[in-house]
Amino acid sequence: MKQRPMLTLEDCKQISAAAEAEAKKNSWNVCIAILDDGGHLLHLARMDGATPANARIAVEKGRTAAETRRSTANWQERVAKRIELLRMPEVTPVQGGVPIVFDGTCVGAVGVSGVQSHEDEQIAAAGIKALG
Amino acid sequence: MNRLLFAAVAATLAFGAAAQQANPRDAVPDKMPNDIPYGPPISLARAQQAITAAVAESQKRGWKLNIAVYDSGANLVAFARMDGAQLGSVQIAEHKARAAVKYRRETKAFESGVQEGNNHYLLTLDDVIASRGGIPIVENGQMIGAVGCSGGTGSQDEVVCKAGADALMKR
Repeated sequence: MKQRPMLTLEDCKQISAAAEAEAKKNSWNVCIAILDDGGHLLHLARMDGATPANARIAVEKGRTAAETRRSTANWQERVAKRIELLRMPEVTPVQGGVPIVFDGTCVGAVGVSGVQSHEDEQIAAAGIKALG
Repeated sequence: MNRLLFAAVAATLAFGAAAQQANPRDAVPDKMPNDIPYGPPISLARAQQAITAAVAESQKRGWKLNIAVYDSGANLVAFARMDGAQLGSVQIAEHKARAAVKYRRETKAFESGVQEGNNHYLLTLDDVIASRGGIPIVENGQMIGAVGCSGGTGSQDEVVCKAGADALMKR
């Protein structure tokens, strides 16, 4: 039987804390969402000052990255070249959603919203890096 | 024609019988119910404090739950899914916390209202969830948010939810 790795709550706390630290270092107020490989919410932290919309957008960026196994930055680039991709269902093609790959398997994703898109991605990447 | 007449008479009789019994919902209280002011939104730090306490209580009992914290504007602030918690309860935990904020009361009130009070109309109100495990967080007489838990039985959800809420307020 094939085994697959799964994110634990401890992993999520680690990712979220590292991402939050990266945001705080830059005085950014964002929402950080972590989803599993099925696009279901595992962990969410909306920092003080981040908006209700940030929570919704962070989850949707994370869902896109988790379910499609590719970053939302990649979606953004592809949409810029092929506008018809905007019709893809349930896809949020805005940078800031990054898949979490462990041993070559996508185990979920981090979605961040609150600052500029490339900064959102920087925060998500810092969170995933903490996983080692 | 006869059938129509019979229906009309039956309806009149039924209406007459109902009119004789006082409808408790016709009572007009002087004061507003659940008149807790909406306070400032709960901070992330406090929301995480509630989640940590709830997770600890759940772990102590060997349960696996989803825990959500909403702020006083009924917006998601923090969420945690424990290892192995059921997927269907992600939304339910959020729903319970949100309903507790929107209606400024424990979601148990809806459950009791439907079950014991026979107030089925409660189920027609917007964004209601008639299941215990959603509790408002009140600070200095103001509601700053709510905790919602789901994944076990309603009673299990409520125990863990209380542990989360109690970490922030003395009751």
